[in-house]
Amino acid sequence: MPPSSIEKAFLKKWLKGLQALSSSSSSSTSKKEMSIFERKKAIKLSADVAMASLKNGTTSWSRALIQNASKDDNNRTLLKNMLGSQCDEKLSRGPTTTSMMCSMRVRSKRVLRRSCRWRRVRKITKDQRVHAGSMAKRLVKKRTQVLRSLVPGGEYMDEYSLFEETLDYIMSLRAQVDVMRRLANASEFSSKS
Amino acid sequence: MDLGDKDKFELEKGSEDPSNFHPSGISLDWRFESANLANTSTGLVPTGNSMSVCKEDLVGSSSCSSASMVESFYPSLWEQPTNQNTLGFCDMIVQTTASTSSALGFRKGLPGSFRAGIEKNLDQAWNPQGTMIKGGMFLPSAAAKLPQSLSQFPADSAFIERAARFSCFNSGNFSDMMNPFNMPDSISPYTKGARMMSGPQEILGGNRFLAEEQSQRNDQGAVGGSNTVSMSVDHVAIEGNPQKNESPRRSHDEAKKGVGVSGNESDEAEFCGGGAQEEASILDCAGGQPSPNKGIGLKKRKRGGQDTELDHIKGVPEHPAEPAKENSENQPKGDQNPTSTANKHNGKNGKQGYQTSENPKEDYIHVRARRGQATNSHSLAERVRREKISERMKFLQDLVPGCSKVTGKAVMLDEIINYVQSLQRQVEFLSMKLATVNPRLDFNIERLLAKDILQSQAGPSTLGFTRDMAIPYPGMLQPPQSGLIQPGLSGLGNSSDALRRTINSQLTALGGGFKEPNSQVHSHS
Repeated sequence: MPPSSIEKAFLKKWLKGLQALSSSSSSSTSKKEMSIFERKKAIKLSADVAMASLKNGTTSWSRALIQNASKDDNNRTLLKNMLGSQCDEKLSRGPTTTSMMCSMRVRSKRVLRRSCRWRRVRKITKDQRVHAGSMAKRLVKKRTQVLRSLVPGGEYMDEYSLFEETLDYIMSLRAQVDVMRRLANASEFSSKS
Repeated sequence: MDLGDKDKFELEKGSEDPSNFHPSGISLDWRFESANLANTSTGLVPTGNSMSVCKEDLVGSSSCSSASMVESFYPSLWEQPTNQNTLGFCDMIVQTTASTSSALGFRKGLPGSFRAGIEKNLDQAWNPQGTMIKGGMFLPSAAAKLPQSLSQFPADSAFIERAARFSCFNSGNFSDMMNPFNMPDSISPYTKGARMMSGPQEILGGNRFLAEEQSQRNDQGAVGGSNTVSMSVDHVAIEGNPQKNESPRRSHDEAKKGVGVSGNESDEAEFCGGGAQEEASILDCAGGQPSPNKGIGLKKRKRGGQDTELDHIKGVPEHPAEPAKENSENQPKGDQNPTSTANKHNGKNGKQGYQTSENPKEDYIHVRARRGQATNSHSLAERVRREKISERMKFLQDLVPGCSKVTGKAVMLDEIINYVQSLQRQVEFLSMKLATVNPRLDFNIERLLAKDILQSQAGPSTLGFTRDMAIPYPGMLQPPQSGLIQPGLSGLGNSSDALRRTINSQLTALGGGFKEPNSQVHSHS
């Protein structure tokens, strides 16, 4: 299957980031040779950021991803190179409000949960019967929680948004994997021959 | 083959005088008259049943296949002493007609006297038999019972009536009964007083007579347990002897009825109760009938096991379909239940979500409460949310491979989680691979593409990316170009250098000339 436009754009950005990385690494005399793990981390990071930047901040997962990446100071340079200065500024400004709101929401949820825990425990001890419906509900809740942990920035989303974000995230991941696989195969082949 | 014979049989039945029970083209002679059905044992292997002996007689020339079928069926089914007779007889008759191999058949033009004789024989043969073949063991039962049934075949109107009833017995429940005279539609309305005669008539063409009798018999409670419709049909054919053992016939009829009424055991119970008096004699002969319901149930189950065989034999495709349909109907209901619970959960989650997100959508969504649903604003909003979520789930279902059959939120979520985790793991793995392949993080796409061009590779090495994608690349490459390309070039040699230079130049020229080499690159994808 020929690569889609998303994949092409992703590759462009990714390679750009990789170049930045390699140039920075090559320029620094102390660290000429990065360890394999460092390389891998750099590759992965650049790939993720490239994919997220393609979204231009439309999806919350991309925003969250870039925010998480920018938290680490080591990545600042990379991000700057890849995203450009404007993106960096936008991201630094934008998420504050949303993150504040989200954190507030999370805090309130925690308080609520703690308060309800007592009641819940009592209720459970009273009624030992486990209905299929309640069990299924619990399953769904548990799994939703796991999904939140997987999708970047999922903790702050409501259920409906979570599904939408998951959809988009899966699409992006697919494209990312496809491009990376192609590149890996090509590199492998070229290195062999 | 069996079906064909059956059809023929049916046609003949229809065309001929109802009173005439003529199996068409059956080579097997009607040996009932001559047979001491309890004696000879040729093709059919007796299963310790007197009927089997008779069977042999009847089936004699017919193949042993039916006999074998009967044998297999025999031990399991032939438990109930009574009611087998009529069934056996019918089975025999039908069997012969139904299958060429069975060669059980009534010669055309058998006069009523012959039938009467046969009935008498059957009557004699049946009484000791006592076991009714239930559910569709049409051929086997027929084969097995024929010898016996012939001797025992009661030549009374009751018997004929029962036979007719049995023949009509193919309603939905007959799936395991394997009613050879497949009369699904006609049988379905078969009830106590229903005239299922339409069914048998198709087959025998002479069920009209029996129909009347059956109507009389319907009230009788004898639970023969043997539901072989063939029996009734045979009885119908025989007609001449309604004076058969009423109990076998009745049980036969009732067994058939039970089957016809979708396995309504209650009917059989009724039969049992009603026919108690009549059955008394037969019961004595048969050594007592096991609890009719139990017996019927057992037989039905056993019959079910034999369904496949019977299907072939009986050539009644529609009949089994009905019960099967019924079964399948139950299953979807079961499936719907979990989804409904899942929806309930969705609703609950939706409520929570509703509370947490104050404005899911700014515009007003007009929701109309469906019939039977709460009109509370909260529940309406919940419903809207639920629907939205389910819509998203549908998208996700399409996206995640292998989720098309999965229903239910929990399972879908599980699949999604697995998929996302696998994708993330793949990213990790591929990045590690790239790190190992490329020690210097110099992914020189030019080099890679050049390699492909040089080698005209259409394999996995091709990136499949068009040249236009690489056009901005040179721009990026300019500063690090020297640093990056050099190490990459070192391994290639001079020839590739030249090529690369050309590539570079062409790249800057917006890659117009790279269509050809690109085609090679694209060939892979």
